[in-house]
Amino acid sequence: MALRGVWQLKKLVVSFSDWGGSSRGIRAFMESHLPAFKEANPQLEVDTEMIRGQHPHLKAFYKNRNDRVVCVKNMDPEEILLHATRLRNALGRKVIKLRTRHVTKHPSVQGTWTTALKY
Amino acid sequence: MFGLFTMHTPIRRCLQALTRQSQPTLSLFKDPLSLRLLSSAALLNHNISSPLLPIFTNSKPTSAFGQWHHGRYFSSSKQDDHIKEGGTHEIEDEDDDSDGDDDDDDDDYDEEEGDYEDEDDDTVAVSSRKKVYTEEEKEAEAEAIGYKVVGPLQKNDNVFKPYEPAFAVVQIGSHQFKVSNGDSIFTERLKFCEVNDKLILNKVLLLGSPSQTIVGRPIVPDGAVHAVVEEHALDAKVIIFKKKRRKNYRRTKGHRQELTKLRITNIEGVEKPLNELVEKPSKSAKKEREKVAVSA
Repeated sequence: MALRGVWQLKKLVVSFSDWGGSSRGIRAFMESHLPAFKEANPQLEVDTEMIRGQHPHLKAFYKNRNDRVVCVKNMDPEEILLHATRLRNALGRKVIKLRTRHVTKHPSVQGTWTTALKY
Repeated sequence: MFGLFTMHTPIRRCLQALTRQSQPTLSLFKDPLSLRLLSSAALLNHNISSPLLPIFTNSKPTSAFGQWHHGRYFSSSKQDDHIKEGGTHEIEDEDDDSDGDDDDDDDDYDEEEGDYEDEDDDTVAVSSRKKVYTEEEKEAEAEAIGYKVVGPLQKNDNVFKPYEPAFAVVQIGSHQFKVSNGDSIFTERLKFCEVNDKLILNKVLLLGSPSQTIVGRPIVPDGAVHAVVEEHALDAKVIIFKKKRRKNYRRTKGHRQELTKLRITNIEGVEKPLNELVEKPSKSAKKEREKVAVSA
């Protein structure tokens, strides 16, 4: 997730609940994996937020003003780390089916072929 | 009472005899649960009072009618399979009792066909086998199959040059792309590189520029294409729906492909023309010429 060298994920908000059982994994994640994740990504702003009465989730804010929310209820800390890494690895673009696998601004180098072309 | 349960074959025969006498129409003798239901019904309806028929209320039919010897511990996560193969037979014995009850529960395939809109519905098997590539040589070999070599991570290099009129046909895995400077390419997920890594793609099949073309047989040995990993992302969800009509068969499966986006930075091995092809100043140059022509 780096467009021409610039990291696209600005902020990651880790929302959890003190009391709920679905937040057990994310609480463990915050103790075990989150410090390492923060150190590995110094360019990233990681916040923790306590929301009571709701399931835990990860919110990702990208530079193209797009945000993605991943609900991490009842997940293991390793799974949550995987999701966080995926959010960090992705660009903020909308998740739609790819039209082409090759995106280019200059499709032709030696000139586009036409029927009138003679070598 | 429980003593009677341990020897199951004589009990079955006794029960069979009793139920045959009382209700000749009943024929279900194999399933222990149904047996229990039958005999309780028999008790209620026909008031059979016999010292042999025990009360079924607190019984555990699974423990009575033989233990299921699982060679393997059946769980949904593959990690547990691997763990159980190693040892720890203590846990297996506890679970043998509970697994007998679950034989009827796995019949129906009721999956919720809910929202497939959002991108975040995928359930990940974290316990999928993680092969530890301890030797870096192994990584190099695996990447040779995919025709890429990982260079160091980016620091303050100016890798992103303006467009140069040169192209290359590059193969990654089984896919080939015609690639030029500044293009982006989506390939299958490349394993051993992180985001913001530099790659060198070895397998170059054709190199071209306005003045020169080099055709490889099958590879151009001196050709190299430099790329930078931009992102590792998942594609949109594709729903695989299978149906056989009139056969009561319908399956739904969701799939998200893991992709890597590469940005091509440099193509080496071809003569590139020295004239700078810059588009925007040419427009302003044309305007200046028009102005000069008008004024003149």
